Amino acid sequence: MDQPASSLSRRDLLKLGGTALAVGSAASLGSPQPALAQTPKRGGTFRLRSHVAPLHFDPHQTIAFSTMIPLSFAYSRLVKVKGGSAVVPGTQPVENDLAESWERQGDTVYVFKLKKGVRWHNKPPVNGRELTAEDVRYTYERFLTIKGNPNRTVLGMVDKVEAPDKYTVKFTLSEPNAWFIDRLASTTTWIVARECVEQFGDLKKPESVVGTGPWMLQRYEPNVRISFARHPNYFVAGLPHADGVEITLSPDPAAGFAAFLSGEYDFGPEYGMVVRRSDLDVAQSRIKGLGTRDYIVLFGGYTSMKIDQEPFKDVRVRRAFAMAQDWHEVLETNAWSMGKGAPNPLIPATLKEWSIPIGQLPAEGRALYEFDPKAAKKLLAEAGHPNGIKVPIETTPGYGPDWMDAVQVALRNWKEAGIEGDLKLKEYGAFVTSAVFGKFDKMILTLRGLTTDPDNYFVQFMPGEPLNSSGVNDPKLTEMIKLQRRTFDEKKRRDIVWDIQRYVSQTVYYGYGPSVSAVGAWMPYVKNFGPNIGHDYGGRLMVAWLDK
Amino acid sequence: MKRYVLRRLLVAIPSLLIASLIVFSLPRLLPGDVVQLMLEEKAYGKDLDDLRAKLGLNRPMYIQYVEWLGQVARGDLGESLWTRRPVLEELTRRLPVSLELAVLSLSFAIVLALPIGVLAAVRQDSMADFVMRSLAILGLSVPGFWIATLCVLLPAIWWGWSPPIQFTAFSVSPWAHFGQFLLPAFILGIASAAAMMRLTRGTLLEVLRQDYVRTAWAKGLRERVVVVKHSLKNALIPVVTVLGIQVAQILGNTVIFENIFGLPGIGRFLFDAINQRDYPVIQGVNLLIVSVVVLMNLIVDAFYAFLDPRIRY
Repeated sequence: MDQPASSLSRRDLLKLGGTALAVGSAASLGSPQPALAQTPKRGGTFRLRSHVAPLHFDPHQTIAFSTMIPLSFAYSRLVKVKGGSAVVPGTQPVENDLAESWERQGDTVYVFKLKKGVRWHNKPPVNGRELTAEDVRYTYERFLTIKGNPNRTVLGMVDKVEAPDKYTVKFTLSEPNAWFIDRLASTTTWIVARECVEQFGDLKKPESVVGTGPWMLQRYEPNVRISFARHPNYFVAGLPHADGVEITLSPDPAAGFAAFLSGEYDFGPEYGMVVRRSDLDVAQSRIKGLGTRDYIVLFGGYTSMKIDQEPFKDVRVRRAFAMAQDWHEVLETNAWSMGKGAPNPLIPATLKEWSIPIGQLPAEGRALYEFDPKAAKKLLAEAGHPNGIKVPIETTPGYGPDWMDAVQVALRNWKEAGIEGDLKLKEYGAFVTSAVFGKFDKMILTLRGLTTDPDNYFVQFMPGEPLNSSGVNDPKLTEMIKLQRRTFDEKKRRDIVWDIQRYVSQTVYYGYGPSVSAVGAWMPYVKNFGPNIGHDYGGRLMVAWLDK
Repeated sequence: MKRYVLRRLLVAIPSLLIASLIVFSLPRLLPGDVVQLMLEEKAYGKDLDDLRAKLGLNRPMYIQYVEWLGQVARGDLGESLWTRRPVLEELTRRLPVSLELAVLSLSFAIVLALPIGVLAAVRQDSMADFVMRSLAILGLSVPGFWIATLCVLLPAIWWGWSPPIQFTAFSVSPWAHFGQFLLPAFILGIASAAAMMRLTRGTLLEVLRQDYVRTAWAKGLRERVVVVKHSLKNALIPVVTVLGIQVAQILGNTVIFENIFGLPGIGRFLFDAINQRDYPVIQGVNLLIVSVVVLMNLIVDAFYAFLDPRIRY
């Protein structure tokens, strides 16, 4: 399923192709590309496309990727996800960013030593002063206390942040949480400057984007472009290689692809730096030596049902819905994947280290992924619906035509099993502010996949959480989720996470659609670039270079 | 004439008031809560209430309306709920882009429609007339966004060339700035040109059959004089009326064209604002469009007197 960069050797190809074909297998795409052996070149400007403009630039006031992507060029975190062509898409190896080192003291205390001599961008009002522990403390205090921070739950376990000296930051958690370091590597935890907040009132204005990251925000033209220039005092010697980054804000996908073909962008024009698989042949014939790499995306559909109401009270009905959905057909009808992709258990398949392979699920769970309308019909009959059932199903066309194609496939599949879906389309804004919070009649079809942190996918099962749209209240499951958070041994934690996925494959509180396999694409002269999930474009491009 | 214009301006006030009520209330009638959109999927009770109060959205709708109207009367269209930037400032920056696109496409429409319409009327039922009428029907029936998409995509696939889709400001390069409007303006103008061409042909045919035109022919005047000097001006009155309507239509279509060609005008601004339920922006843009349309119709009415001196106000 995965396709390596075009510059890989045959041995690499075999290595990559063979292992990557197994859905969820982790270690397939790790082979470094030849680019790593080359000497990096300084200079040039990376040119990218974003189909949507940032809402604003305050990372503590939005979860929008359109904000986080530009910020990834200008800001730093304590720890970050590694970039480069050697990183396997879907894995999230964490390395130090502003942190020189860190240690866990007991179960709830983390102490970070900061790198010395880190300079802020030389822009007012910060003017290139040195970053200190107080900046980090201030950032997280703002993160946790500012009203309306939709990212607050990312660090919801933090009780106290202290700066005992100029280069030391101490976090005290309210309870043990083994995901804390992964959470700090998320693209919401950028270290911001107090002076900017004080001068501008918040961080929404482009002038307030002053960070310690590899590039400095040079110019923002709303709905036109965002330009970055190299940070000359960046704290990692020799990085970044490119002198600038230019993001063109162009909403139309056809225009975006046309500009890519005509060489105006260095990377695939769609979100995630990808091209639609249906466009791949054209792109490869027009751009000789185009670099490509397949990877499973985070996004995937899911079904939420009112499990405290008929007919979904009965697990057999929920199971029948899952069994009557043909994930192969969803992928085959999708222009991004054209048949390539992976079925998702609870944790999206792309998070290879944590997502359980479908083959490892119990028999009842595995059966959900084997399209069988007859068995589904039988289950419905056993549940007291021998003549099938009619259910109102809500969704939004706002996710785009590809999504609506998948919805139509689901409706047709269900019909084969005697399930009549009464489709109710809701306007996007109305849908995302109501249905995903559980305000729907019986059932919704929607999308998930904003976060790269596996633990975040358990939120939907926690009683009282707004995103628990199915209304799950299962003490056994709640305890399992809490237990994995308390388990620091990664292997043991993975066992619990897999057990949770096995358990929910039997209870079917939610149904999960597949994720497509996208094609990351870049121009032949871009070196040491590896596509990955998540919004950290800056982290990925910092180590890449242009060899024109 | 002055009295007429003044009277029309006075009549425009209640029209604008009614329009203001509609543009204020319609976005609020759309399902979906801007506060929940702003807090996205992690919205919690108290945060929602606090933000709603901060934005002033917790007050009764009529109070919000009256306050907004007062602001508008003072020349203040409010601030974007998301970016906190003044709407008027944003509109001032974006309106020239949309106007440039609209004026150019209208110019294309006129330049194409009038000569073709006249030629089709003068050569009625000839091959040229047949071809031009067919083209006009094609122009009316093929959606502009489809033509635009093909014009962008096909050259890129065939020759690796695409029209400029990154906006260049006039101050940076006047020629590049002007050049990026040509293709969208031309495509946007096609439908208007088709409608105007058909109307020009039809009305000119009617005028050409009138007695005074027959007299002109009988006097032995040349065809050019009969058509251009004696007939065309009278035939243009309904065309000019349609021109006023076309302005509204073209401004509406800029939403799609600005998206395709990457032009940062009010169309894209409105499109984003609707998705984000940014009420002050939606209200501001719509009020501006309504005002432009009212103004254009006023200009059109005043223009009648120039075309036909018999019309008195």
